[in-house]
Amino acid sequence: MSVPLSLRLKRAVVLSPPLLWTLVFMFIPYTILFVYSFWIQKYPTFEPAFQFGNYVQLATDPQYLRVILRTIKIAFFVSLGAALIAYPYAYFLAFKVKRPGVRLALYMAVVAPLWVSYLLRAYTWKTILGTTGILNSFLMSIGLLSEPSSVFLYNQTAMIVTLIYVFIPFMVMPIYAVLEKIPKSLKEASSDLGVGRLQTFFLVTLPLSIPGIVAGFTMTFCLTFGDFIAPFLVGGPDGLMIANVIASQFGASLNWPLGSALALVMLVIVLTIISISDRFERFGQGKFA
Amino acid sequence: MMNGNRFLAHTAIATICIATMASSLIAGELNILTWEGYADPSVIEPFEAATGCKVSATYVGSNDDFAPKLAAGGGVFDVVTPSIDTTYSLIEAGFVQPIDISRIVVWGDLYKQFTSAPGIQKDGKFYGVPYAWGAIPFMYRPDKFATPPTSIAALWDPALKGRVSLWDDKSALYVAARLNGDMNIYSLSDEQLAAAQAKLVEQRPNVRKYWATAGELVDLYKSDEVWISNTWGGYQSGLLASEGIEVVEFIPEEGAEGWMDSNMIVTGTPNEECAYKFLNMASGALGQSGVFKVNGYSSTNPIAAKEFMTPEEFSALHQDDPEYLDSLLLWENLGDRLQAYTNAWNAVKSQ
Repeated sequence: MSVPLSLRLKRAVVLSPPLLWTLVFMFIPYTILFVYSFWIQKYPTFEPAFQFGNYVQLATDPQYLRVILRTIKIAFFVSLGAALIAYPYAYFLAFKVKRPGVRLALYMAVVAPLWVSYLLRAYTWKTILGTTGILNSFLMSIGLLSEPSSVFLYNQTAMIVTLIYVFIPFMVMPIYAVLEKIPKSLKEASSDLGVGRLQTFFLVTLPLSIPGIVAGFTMTFCLTFGDFIAPFLVGGPDGLMIANVIASQFGASLNWPLGSALALVMLVIVLTIISISDRFERFGQGKFA
Repeated sequence: MMNGNRFLAHTAIATICIATMASSLIAGELNILTWEGYADPSVIEPFEAATGCKVSATYVGSNDDFAPKLAAGGGVFDVVTPSIDTTYSLIEAGFVQPIDISRIVVWGDLYKQFTSAPGIQKDGKFYGVPYAWGAIPFMYRPDKFATPPTSIAALWDPALKGRVSLWDDKSALYVAARLNGDMNIYSLSDEQLAAAQAKLVEQRPNVRKYWATAGELVDLYKSDEVWISNTWGGYQSGLLASEGIEVVEFIPEEGAEGWMDSNMIVTGTPNEECAYKFLNMASGALGQSGVFKVNGYSSTNPIAAKEFMTPEEFSALHQDDPEYLDSLLLWENLGDRLQAYTNAWNAVKSQ
């Protein structure tokens, strides 16, 4: 196949930045992590080796499995909670709000918090959920509580609430994008054929929006899975997540080999989730679109 | 065209590198990795004015932050201020360079106990200049305790559910081990470590939050989350007092850990001149009065301390009482046991 030189040059120019990016920021770092994961810790730091001890340690010491399962659990609840809140909101935006200006304003209300530092937004929840926080003052002022409760902050629920709040834009955006594209004619056809509104929703709208839900679910899940700020700010003594353990291996214990092995395990989990969600999305499209 | 792009990119990167290098060379910039309070403007501003060395400080939350930051390389830091449990690892890893003590004018004024500490020397060479010292006592809110606590066991009292905080650090194991009666806290066997770990797991319902920075512990007391915890003696209690919250420090029956921080020079620093000036300042009168006024820590330089402390303060900070120092369990380097300690601490938090 002969392609003119000028075209090949153009292609190279267009493709080289992303390829270079992938090479420098994805391929090389992961290769380094992969190599590190076979090294061995030796006081005072660590040294090159080829052994599987780090992986054996991950498999045999129960603390790692416990933290991974905890992280999956938290990521699942965050994604589920975000989906349950985001879907009605996106639905309302796409179908109920008639004026474009209002729709834009409501859409921006979800997106705008992304412009504020994540740290700041997570920190805000401390002042809301704390023992002397806004929530406690409110519940006491309406007489629901007689003294401040400490159950709102420094536990896994506080982490889930905070993370739902922080990551919900990533759920609203894809769901809204999908709902918006559903042709009105489909719903009209459904009602012309005498199907009720609820049934239309479950038979037409919801199935068609599955790709958006899956995309949002995957994004919030993966973002939560790699989070290590929420445990630090609003998590309690049982708040440790997998990214914190990796950070402590690269930090406190100066065991980069073990940290690398753990990071690769995490990468495999995330890739598995993404490929499963990819299947789901295709399944949704193949069946309903 | 691609070559043109590359050329542009390379030129841009090179320009940025040269520009940043040049600015740090001209200004005599000193990047220090240290603890909260150790780079207070009241000390840094006069130092900058006198020497022309501009100081930028980065803070650590734990001694475990020093080695990773230095291992990551990049030649960012010039001076570090680790505690005596960490200094020797940094020396062994080659992260810090020997100090010519003939260039430290106050060396002879410093406590002999500190300048002769094995943690800051290797093969007859010195690597650290003692800066500050103190204890890791416990503190509590006196308005919440009918009888003042005297033992570490108070932190395990079921009545204090959700009211306790401990430093998010391997030192939590030192606390639990002492409660178990294991006083060899820096050389715990695997069984003793497992027992300390189990003790900390048992304590979990009492723990509101493990504190990671000095500021966080202050916040926990301020927002009425925590009533009792360990602390960096003198520092957080001072911050809380200035917020109008009364806390009382105490050394429990089971004893307290002691610490001593030294300034060290990072291997191959391009700012050696400024680094020596900084070390001299820090352990001299200006630096010592700064750490006393800002952090409330004891001075490693009794000659200088006499100048800015009242006799009452001098004895309150045990400057005239070498036996007090001996009664503390001065932090020791854990060597190749560090990993076992860190794993045990992570295991507690993974429960």
